[in-house]
Amino acid sequence: MERYWEQSIFKYLRAEPEDHYFLLTEPPLNPPENRESTAEIFFESFNIPGLYIAVQAVLALAASWTSGKVTERTLTGTVIDSGDGVTHVIPVAEGYVIGSAIKHIPIAGRDITQFVLNLLRERGEMVNVPPEDHLRVAGKVKENYSYVCQDIVKEFRKYDVEPYKYFQRFEAEHSVTGRQYGIDVGYERFLAPEIFFNPEIYQSDFLTPLPEVVDEVIRQSPIDVRRGLYNNIVLSGGSTMFDHFGQRLKRDIKQIVDRRIQASETASGSAMRSSGLDVNVISHKRQRYAVWFGGSLLASLPDFYGACHTKAAYEEVGPSICRRYQIFGSAT
Amino acid sequence: MILLESHNTIIQTVLAEKFSKPSSLDEHFVDYDGVRFRLSTPERKTLLRLSMNIRCWDQLAQYGAQQILEREYGTYLLPEAEPEYSVTLEFDTEKVPAEGAARDALIKSAALLKRIALGAPFELAFKNALALESGGSPPNATELMQIHYRDEEAIFVQAASDRVTVVFSTVFREEADRIFGKVFLQEFVDARRQPSIQTAPQVLFTAKEPPLEIRSAAGLKNSDDIGYVTFVIFPRHYNKPDVQNSTISHIQLFRSYLHYHIKCSKAYMRSRMRHRVAEFQKVLNRAKTEVATTERKTASGRTLVTR
Repeated sequence: MERYWEQSIFKYLRAEPEDHYFLLTEPPLNPPENRESTAEIFFESFNIPGLYIAVQAVLALAASWTSGKVTERTLTGTVIDSGDGVTHVIPVAEGYVIGSAIKHIPIAGRDITQFVLNLLRERGEMVNVPPEDHLRVAGKVKENYSYVCQDIVKEFRKYDVEPYKYFQRFEAEHSVTGRQYGIDVGYERFLAPEIFFNPEIYQSDFLTPLPEVVDEVIRQSPIDVRRGLYNNIVLSGGSTMFDHFGQRLKRDIKQIVDRRIQASETASGSAMRSSGLDVNVISHKRQRYAVWFGGSLLASLPDFYGACHTKAAYEEVGPSICRRYQIFGSAT
Repeated sequence: MILLESHNTIIQTVLAEKFSKPSSLDEHFVDYDGVRFRLSTPERKTLLRLSMNIRCWDQLAQYGAQQILEREYGTYLLPEAEPEYSVTLEFDTEKVPAEGAARDALIKSAALLKRIALGAPFELAFKNALALESGGSPPNATELMQIHYRDEEAIFVQAASDRVTVVFSTVFREEADRIFGKVFLQEFVDARRQPSIQTAPQVLFTAKEPPLEIRSAAGLKNSDDIGYVTFVIFPRHYNKPDVQNSTISHIQLFRSYLHYHIKCSKAYMRSRMRHRVAEFQKVLNRAKTEVATTERKTASGRTLVTR
């Protein structure tokens, strides 16, 4: 790990660590021992003047401040972080991660690519494609053509009525021989991201759709932050980049919530009326590198230096200084 | 990576990407010795500006950095730098050379911006030394040039008829660093004894006391944590243009190189130490005697069972 840091600091960042404050990120539920050993390496081997260790989910929330829809800068919200391997749903209240309510979904970028590949193979499109390019082609199709539809049945009908309008052609070149080949991209355009919302079309191991997981996570969080969590659902990571992903997620969660409110109203004999619950899903331009961007946003705030653990404090207290979690950047 | 590279990787990758696919950007980043860069597209997507702020620009300009930059970049160099920056280059992505060797060379030379600016005093010193050697006497040829490239550290360059002397002052903020640095620099002296690298420049290291060459310079600090590294560069290192170029590149990065290696060796030794401690811990754990479990009975003869 030290070698990795040496390379990234000296070769790519080209910075003398003695001159710069550092912001590092950690996954939620990182054991404090890890933070301690990181602090030890950074303060003692690299002689850095100050260090701040931030949780990735909190940085993703901070990155959502760039979106036009966000009016107040709050650090309360639900982060949906979907990368290549796993999707995490993480509730954050006032900059603190609610660890007990975090949930993981074993569906992410890799599964979408695999699913696209399966669909293309079943339709027989992949015959012309050299086998070593299969995965790459599926990945390209996923990245460049896919979007989230609002209603699968309608979408299928649309494609069947006007196939020439919706089917698209993907052209590529063999990486070694330079031979040209092309495939037709059809239903997988809207089916690919659909596995988040209807996992049963891909596999039978994990069958809870993403909106339900999000709802469950929020209901497991303390009652006084739930409104904030519903109100600010933030997307981060490459696999949330599909068009209309946010809209669809918002609609589905809203449906679940409204249905529940409806049920409790009927159960109370229609005597009580609920004032309703706002559900907001925020998507923004920096989603792909949301964590990095949030980090760069927070680090450029003037009070970043105040929130850092300084070298003097480290020498006074020792590595255990990093056990204390210091929050900054919230509206308060 | 044993040697640091003299070009900036960020500039190289960003320029290569933006030349082929222009889009608006505004990026701030740094390089060694407190150099700040800014890459931006202030007016339109295709007009890229690369600005550099370097601490010792006034001193560099005095030693002809502006002329050297003009020679290297020609029309890309703007006569007026952006506010807060010392040098600004401007690239019109529609007019840069087509993809290929010419474009790569341009990108590479832009990535070397810091190296070229900081190379000015060295180039001047080498030129003076060559002139002195051939019997000429250019004005101020043997003047001691000072470049305060960091807050507390400076490079001193002096030309003479048969050599160029370069002195670095460097500050070690920590006790451990100082010792590592001393050992490391001692290695240079010892390595020179090997027959294969006899032609390397002579390296001397003095702690605390500034070497004789620069004792006349004003503003020298006399403290415990400062060290001076003296390089004596002989004509063989600067009488050919390509050798001269690589000499400048290497000598400029010396300070960063020294600190990089101190950090790396510290990190390496610490990781070895941690490994050893973990190993010893295992041995200790194995050596623990098992606690003998004896059957305990109550007065009435029943056995106590631990749950």
